[in-house]
Amino acid sequence: MTTTFEGLKAGDGIEGPSFAVSRESIRLFCDASLDYNPLHLDDNYMKGNFGKTNFGGIIMHGMNNFGLISRMITDWAYPAGAIHRRLETRWVKPVRPGDTIQPMGVIKSKQETAKSRWVLIDVLVRNQRGDKVATGEAMVEFPRPA
Amino acid sequence: MAQAEAFETDFWKDANLRKMWDDIVPGEPRKTIPYVLTQEAIALYCKSVGETHPLYFDEAYAKTTPYGGLIAPPSIHILLMFSCTPADDWMRSPGTVNAGQSWSYNIPARPNDTITLQARALDKFIKRERLFVVHDNVFFNQRGEVICSGRGWTIRPQ
Repeated sequence: MTTTFEGLKAGDGIEGPSFAVSRESIRLFCDASLDYNPLHLDDNYMKGNFGKTNFGGIIMHGMNNFGLISRMITDWAYPAGAIHRRLETRWVKPVRPGDTIQPMGVIKSKQETAKSRWVLIDVLVRNQRGDKVATGEAMVEFPRPA
Repeated sequence: MAQAEAFETDFWKDANLRKMWDDIVPGEPRKTIPYVLTQEAIALYCKSVGETHPLYFDEAYAKTTPYGGLIAPPSIHILLMFSCTPADDWMRSPGTVNAGQSWSYNIPARPNDTITLQARALDKFIKRERLFVVHDNVFFNQRGEVICSGRGWTIRPQ
């Protein structure tokens, strides 16, 4: 069924893609994003402490979560003629090689403004244990029909 | 990978040239460099997050859509942040931890766009003994149109 602004209601869900995290996927993200921070590459470096935090090994880029959430939003919005307008995220837990993560969204509210129509979506990413690793909010525009 | 060869991937190399938390002045513009976004770079980014939508790959399809041609995914700013900044930019400091980001999207970036960035630290503060910097960023295309704007919170290495 085609998604429409009129048909959406608070609580409706959006299922995002499952993503298997590996040392290779993290390295690929380094090459694709040009973010070669040793947090994502160097096991010896990651044995150290970061202030009060010890990650215990390399971690996935937080922005890899962001990219997956964005992919979920656009794949949902494009068929509806809607436009991904905003994404805000916070990282809750580190993601490590061997984890499998999956974003999801829940429609929070709809709002009409003078010139357009907007849908606010709560987003989160969980790992294979069901832990939240990232949370946030997205905004999608559903332009009024011409 | 052509783009990675031209890019210094050892973030330790220029570490001593980068500003520490103490040196960062909120409001002061960061040095930035123009970057030509290639279809190859878009494809590599798409591969890294599993993007398969034909708007990013299939020009014949993309021409039939309201976009009128190939575009990059909105989150391409993840790449642009590093491609539009020089090696001594403090975003590359080893140990920089990303705490969260928010981005607003205006128009899509497209293959062969020349992208420019206006960026600066906006704020810095200490919370629970951690050193935070808030940075804001606006990416433009070659016509001066805003592609996207965003704000990020990073925890700085000590």
